[in-house]
Amino acid sequence: MLTVSGLGKQYPGASRPLFSHLDLGVSAGEIVALLGESGTGKSTLLNCIAGLETADSGSVGIGPQGLDIVRLGETARAALRARCIGFVFQAFHVLPTLTVAQNVALPLLLSQVAADEHVGRTQALLERVGLAGFGGRWPASLSGGELQRVAIARALVHHPALILADEPTGNLDPRTADGILSLFLERVREQAAGALIVTHSQQVAQCCDRILTLTPDGLV
Amino acid sequence: MTTLAWWLIRAQFRTRAAATCLSMLAIALGVALGYSIHLINEAALADFGRAMKVVQGDPDAVIAARDSSGGVPLATINAIARDPAVLAIAPVIETRVRIGNTGTPLRLIGLDVFSAAAVLPRLLPRNEGMTGGDIFGGRIFASPALLDRLGQRPGASVTLWRGDQRWQTTIAGDLPATGPDDLLLVADIAWVQEHFGPPDAVSEGRIRLAPDTDRANWRRDLAARLPADLLLRAAEDDQARVSNLSRAYRVNLNVLALVALLTGAFLVFATQLTAVAQRSTQFALLGVLGLSPRMRLLQVLLEGLAIGVPGALGGLALGYALALALTQRLGADLGGGYFSGSAPPIVPEVAPTLGFLTLGCAASLAGALYPAYLNRVQPLAQALKVGFLQHHRAGVPSHRRWRLPLLALSAFLMTRLPPAFDLPLAGYGSIALLLVLGVRSAPLLTQWLFGWLAARRLPAAQQIAVQNVAQAPLMAQVAASGLIVSFALTASMVIMVSSFRLAVNHWLDHVLPAPLYLRSKATPLPQDLLAGLERADAPFARVERMAQAALTIDARRPNVALLIRELERNNPAARLPFTGPLLTPPEDMAVVWVSEPMHEIYGIEPGQRLRLPLIGRVVDVFVGGIWRDYSRQFGAVTISRDDYLRLGGDFQPSDLALWPRPGQESAASDWLAGWTTGYGLELTDGIEIRHLSLSIFDKSFAVTYALEAAATLIGLFALAVTLAASVRLRARELATLGALGFDRRMLRRAVIFEGALIAAVGLLIGVACGIAIGAVLTHVVNPQAFHWRMSLAVPWLTVLGAAGLTLLAAVVASAYAAHQATRLPTAQILADVQ
Ligand SMILES: Nc1ncnc2c1ncn2[C@@H]1O[C@H](COP(=O)(O)OP(=O)(O)O)[C@@H](O)[C@H]1O
Ligand SMILES: [Mg+2]
Repeated sequence: MLTVSGLGKQYPGASRPLFSHLDLGVSAGEIVALLGESGTGKSTLLNCIAGLETADSGSVGIGPQGLDIVRLGETARAALRARCIGFVFQAFHVLPTLTVAQNVALPLLLSQVAADEHVGRTQALLERVGLAGFGGRWPASLSGGELQRVAIARALVHHPALILADEPTGNLDPRTADGILSLFLERVREQAAGALIVTHSQQVAQCCDRILTLTPDGLV
Repeated sequence: MTTLAWWLIRAQFRTRAAATCLSMLAIALGVALGYSIHLINEAALADFGRAMKVVQGDPDAVIAARDSSGGVPLATINAIARDPAVLAIAPVIETRVRIGNTGTPLRLIGLDVFSAAAVLPRLLPRNEGMTGGDIFGGRIFASPALLDRLGQRPGASVTLWRGDQRWQTTIAGDLPATGPDDLLLVADIAWVQEHFGPPDAVSEGRIRLAPDTDRANWRRDLAARLPADLLLRAAEDDQARVSNLSRAYRVNLNVLALVALLTGAFLVFATQLTAVAQRSTQFALLGVLGLSPRMRLLQVLLEGLAIGVPGALGGLALGYALALALTQRLGADLGGGYFSGSAPPIVPEVAPTLGFLTLGCAASLAGALYPAYLNRVQPLAQALKVGFLQHHRAGVPSHRRWRLPLLALSAFLMTRLPPAFDLPLAGYGSIALLLVLGVRSAPLLTQWLFGWLAARRLPAAQQIAVQNVAQAPLMAQVAASGLIVSFALTASMVIMVSSFRLAVNHWLDHVLPAPLYLRSKATPLPQDLLAGLERADAPFARVERMAQAALTIDARRPNVALLIRELERNNPAARLPFTGPLLTPPEDMAVVWVSEPMHEIYGIEPGQRLRLPLIGRVVDVFVGGIWRDYSRQFGAVTISRDDYLRLGGDFQPSDLALWPRPGQESAASDWLAGWTTGYGLELTDGIEIRHLSLSIFDKSFAVTYALEAAATLIGLFALAVTLAASVRLRARELATLGALGFDRRMLRRAVIFEGALIAAVGLLIGVACGIAIGAVLTHVVNPQAFHWRMSLAVPWLTVLGAAGLTLLAAVVASAYAAHQATRLPTAQILADVQ
């Protein structure tokens, strides 16, 4: 599902690269935890994988065809993300001007899923994350935990091959975080997608299939 | 994809209803104005064309004298008639008469039935029960519209008046082919000639050529052979002349419409820019979810269109309604006094309507273009993390500073250029450059002012404000630009109008010296009135008489007025406001004084000898000087009565200036009352004319003022919108400050101070630009478009007062923005991570 090889990134003006010659693979149905101290470049790595930042060197193969996102143009990257990647952020990034159901349906619109499936799939996923009946509500009226569940539903609704999560529970209290995380992992396993999850919690990491740590010297 | 676009547009309309509606309204206003001007003008031209077809038929050429008191000799008519290429020539005598003592004179057209049948079929009379032979028999025919107006039927006997002559005649029938607005009388040409003259000439000959004739060639040949006092026109010349009549006036209104449309575009710009800034994380998220960069660009453009399309459609409807209402109330010339007659029908056509729709959409698209571009280039990962990134720095890079003086220089040089197509295009260009200069110099002034302020020790709230402007330079620049442009335009209009009004006031002092004025419209004053004024017992200390005629110098331009006045040949300055030196004419030559517009349109210089078509022939005259005239935009030439008589002219006064003997004012009014009612003459006093002139002046600029006021409001609104948006962008930062111990009042004070600072910069530049643009309007646009020259008089009190008021309004707008931005509880803002 994801094959990173020889990836390198250095911000202009920085004294040394954040990482170089980095190799990483995530297969279908595999959940990988990514640990590391703050500032080591975990978010940057995720951004490079999703094509939000351009890596300096190396390649990132994504999806069943293993398209190299580093070599693609901006539009093709966007199309690839729409088709193959689901993203969950620490800050929930739920659009405040769209209803909960509209927020969840966004990836369906962007990946050209037939319009008659939208309502059914959105409803189904909202149910799966415990938000049945929330579809017509505005995000402003939801709690943080509920917002993150909306974000999770949004990341899964189009059945992406790869799911990237950047500290998905970092903004939540520990109890809510636990609940959300187990829900999240359950849904990911259900869809047999590959996942790369950045986290600071050892507990979370324990639930994953594999644990990697990003250090200034590379992945260990 | 369309579903998403539609969701986002709906969300925009819902969350920013006020800004969106106002942008729509501004676009609608611009479109409505332009469209209604277009509709009204089309209607007026069509109406005029139709009326002309009735009276003139559809001739291939018209021969006429260049001066209205002259005529075409019958010999010339007969010579042309003998030309084998001429199918028919219809001689016509046209004059004005009154029926009974009604006020308005009517057109009386004398024609010959047989030639008229070939050339002027729509003027042919219908005469029930009488056929062939002498269908006129010394009687007249009236158009149905006139019969209606008079409440008469064929067979009625009427009295025709001209001066103090009167003729008893019968209305024999009507003119079935004339339109509902044509007030016309038709009689036999010989009968008209016998009663009204001239003896061996006619007013015009209307020519129909054989179908296979090369018309242009034929006209050129004949024109070359004609004496200089005769003029051969083609039908196109008449159309051109009518269009020239109101051209400058129309263009000026169109420029105003363009200003309204630009304001609309600017408002769309401010709205969309802030919309993009506020939603930068949302758009970044959509980008992460797979919205392509092209779609991020398109979405903002679509949102612009979503404002533009309804705005433009509304504008079309509003424009149509405006055209209807204005023609009903003011007639087709919008009170400009160029055309007369009743309201013409307004008929929208498809192509121009689509054109104006496109224009409105284009304006809103243009406004959305830069915000769309900014949205397209936002780096996703960063925008997601920290929100909107402003690529513009507050300062002007030093390597770009030379552009400002260059702009100023080009603006100045453009004012030196001559008009193009009789329009002050370079002047308008110069105004546009001055506006650009003002907007471009804002960052420099901001930099300077804020650098100075930053070095000062300020209270905490003010310090935050100064920092905020430094951090959000793009928003500050947008907010200031709106004020610069709108205030500069408003101030310039105020300056131009007040200079103009002052000049008109002075001018009226000079040209209205007498307490009383008596006018007969278009027909000469009765002889016995003139004789009565000469008598010793008439209660007047002084009477000055004037006669008028019209001269055609160029067939495609409106006529020039010939004023024959009782002036002293060596001291005309007592009555005419000269703009330059007076030259002493040679003893043996007639002298004329030309008006400023005439000097500019025809390039006539003082001291020059001029060949002028007067008294039915061309005479050599000396140009003694140039006098200021604000009333006859197409030119006037004055000659003294003595010179006119010496040349052989016939002095038939139509206007009198009267000075009653001191103490006998009411006796004078009584003395005149008998005449005014008896002959339908118009008596006004000088003060009344003055009031009337100034009120017409004020009315004609009322639309302008209303628009400029709207522009300033829009500028203020843009300030509030951008300020609120830029504060909201920093909501978290402000809330953090709040958490650190700043109370809400302090935060509000900071925002208000920021708004006041931006407004102060905008107004400072706005006033400077306004004065410069006012000078361009007064010294370039007015003279080039209307041939009105005047000196610049800046009404400082008004301009600075308006600036002060606008500043106050800006503070209120900022207070509103501050309220909007700090409305949410601090905790919520801090918790709400976008
Ligand atoms: N856009 C950027 N430009 C320059 N430096 C950046 C940028 N984004 C992140 N950095 C730097 O890269 C480093 C890694 O950042 P990040 O990937 O966010 O770390 P992590 O997610 O592991 O905490 C940090 O030191 C940060 O200062
Ligand atoms: Mg991070």
